[in-house]
Amino acid sequence: MAQLFHKSANNIAKASIVGAIVLAGVAGFAYTVIARSSYLTGRYIERQQPVQFSHRHHVGDDGIDCRYCHTTVETTASAGMPPTQTCMNCHSQIWNDSPYLEPVRASYRENKPIKWERVHDLPEFVYFNHSIHVNKGIGCSSCHGDVANMASVYQENTLQMEWCIACHKDPQSNLRPKSEIFNTAFDPSTLSEDEQKKLKEDYKIRSREMLTSCSMCHR
Amino acid sequence: MLKSKLLWILTFSLLITAGCRYDMQDQPRYKVYKSSDWFQDGRASRELPEGTVPRGFLRDNKALYTGKIEGVTATAQTNEQGQQITFPDVVSEFPMPVTQEVLDKGEQKFKVYCSLCHGAFGNGDGMIVRRGFPKPPSYNDDRLRNAPVGHFFDVATNGWGKMQGYASQVSVADRWAIVAYIRALQISQNPNKTATTAPTTGKTEEKPVATPTPAPANTNTNVAPKPSNTNSNVKTTNVTNTAAKPTKTGGNK
Ligand code: HEC
Ligand code: HEC
Ligand code: HEC
Ligand code: HEC
Ligand code: HEC
Ligand code: HEC
Repeated sequence: MAQLFHKSANNIAKASIVGAIVLAGVAGFAYTVIARSSYLTGRYIERQQPVQFSHRHHVGDDGIDCRYCHTTVETTASAGMPPTQTCMNCHSQIWNDSPYLEPVRASYRENKPIKWERVHDLPEFVYFNHSIHVNKGIGCSSCHGDVANMASVYQENTLQMEWCIACHKDPQSNLRPKSEIFNTAFDPSTLSEDEQKKLKEDYKIRSREMLTSCSMCHR
Repeated sequence: MLKSKLLWILTFSLLITAGCRYDMQDQPRYKVYKSSDWFQDGRASRELPEGTVPRGFLRDNKALYTGKIEGVTATAQTNEQGQQITFPDVVSEFPMPVTQEVLDKGEQKFKVYCSLCHGAFGNGDGMIVRRGFPKPPSYNDDRLRNAPVGHFFDVATNGWGKMQGYASQVSVADRWAIVAYIRALQISQNPNKTATTAPTTGKTEEKPVATPTPAPANTNTNVAPKPSNTNSNVKTTNVTNTAAKPTKTGGNK
């Protein structure tokens, strides 16, 4: 019987073993990169909104507090989106003939909600709650970035599990005093270690075991 | 041969299921602000039908929930500028105790919801006014210093002239807290004069602490009786007060 394989097949076999390992490594690495890419996490992507609403104008320039529009952020899981009525509090009087605001006026006239495009969207098997974070010293900017200077909101962080866990393992360095929660320019890392420790005690932050237990977020 | 075919099928079906996580990511249930094709206005969250009273929301304490007195028939008087100067149909005492806590909360809420137009001291020079919003009257002129607390609550609730109501944004307790803070503000801005219905004792200049005045609503009914709703000669109606709730459309895929 003739030889089935040529002698060089030995080398190919060896090379293919090494090659397979290298390939698997590259594929694994590529996977982690792709999984964290903004394409999959939606990070930094600005979305086309029905109204060119600018946080920079309203919060940065005019000094409107987040809670004026996101009214339930301190009390419920959802931060709350402003109903059209909230816009009309001001825009019934100012810029009331601006073409940029026509969708708002139309929504008000016809009693039809404005369909904002969602920017942050966790999968529905994850439980998230704004009120506990806001009441325990985590400011908006720790998760959403400097919204007060964004013309249109984009997602500043990946919102992946590893990101949540990274903070839950040790929230201390992200805590800030009550007065700075809504100040998106505040940087918690400017606090000294002692101040951070004190905040951690004042807020009665629970143990690392509790904050990283699966049933906390997957309930 | 069969084995490798099976392997291919297995690999492919695995690849296909990789897309299946989205079934769990976007489950067929409605979260807050989700849109729905089922209802005409596109909202998944429905408004309660008119007249629904959820358990615990009977709100029969009229003084607390509206700041008004029932069965008042006196008409309000106006000054030369057409501003209302008497407020016969509103309560003149707080329907809840005013404590330091209430004042602190009032200060916080005032700074979020009111100071952007009325200014930090209530003088009517807030940022939005500087951007072109009509200037509101100062809280520190005599007319408003002498206005009963119920008037402030009524304005915060239903709006007044060019100002819209804040009932949908600020809770009842928080609105009363704001009113208490406005009273304190008026006293601190006018240390020599006293507002008629001021919370009594002032401990500090900055934030006078009121003694708890648990004023039962019924004690005020001796105020001149007159129909309540006819006095709104300065007040535009808020008929179009429909708070359209926005819906958020789908996910980011
Ligand atoms: C004048 C009203 C107003 C104020 C004040 C305001 N927002 Fe918003 N916010 C909106 C509106 C309207 C949207 C939806 C449009 C958009 O996404 O740009 C929004 C969207 C957002 C989103 C994205 C929500 C999503 O779809 O995932 C975030 C995050 C946010 N706001 C944070 C803040 C923070 C933080 C502050 C305070 C620093 C603030 N907002 C103040 C009106 C407001
Ligand atoms: C507290 C008052 C206030 C509220 C509430 C408010 N705005 Fe504004 N808005 C302003 C002011 C003041 C400006 C002018 C901004 C500037 O140039 O600083 C403005 C400007 C705008 C513009 C730009 C108009 C133009 O012609 O350039 C848009 C669009 C807008 N607002 C949308 C909204 C929407 C949507 C909401 C409701 C979620 C809203 N605003 C709520 C005060 C307000
Ligand atoms: C611990 C991180 C964190 C903090 C702090 C935080 N947010 Fe969020 N926010 C999120 C996440 C995560 C979502 C997406 C929630 C979802 O998809 O269910 C979100 C969603 C939102 C939305 C969209 C509506 C909603 O509730 O789904 C708004 C508006 C918003 N945040 C505003 C704020 C404001 C204003 C603050 C500060 C007072 C704040 N957030 C603080 C993480 C945070
Ligand atoms: C910047 C820090 C930070 C980030 C990021 C963060 N958290 Fe938290 N989280 C906290 C702190 C602090 C607490 C309060 C801990 C306590 O109560 O002891 C908390 C508490 C919680 C709770 C507990 C609520 C309860 O009722 O017990 C949940 C659920 C939660 N976080 C979910 C999330 C999810 C989901 C994410 C990611 C999308 C996230 N968190 C991201 C800091 C953070
Ligand atoms: C602090 C909150 C938090 C805790 C604690 C947590 N998770 Fe998660 N988990 C998340 C978030 C947020 C996501 C969604 C990630 C995404 O969108 O990519 C997630 C996603 C997942 C997924 C799906 C991954 C995927 O690719 O779809 C699994 C499985 C999971 N978590 C398991 C666990 C297990 C097991 C634990 C306990 C060891 C745990 N989680 C604890 C927040 C948490
Ligand atoms: C968007 C700007 C704006 C905001 C925010 C605002 N107001 Fe006003 N307010 C006005 C204007 C304008 C007037 C004058 C209305 C008129 O006479 O047409 C006014 C008038 C008033 C008056 C006087 C009514 C009278 O008898 O003349 C009171 C009291 C008042 N506001 C209370 C409040 C309270 C309490 C809040 C916070 C919950 C608030 N306002 C928030 C603009 C605003």
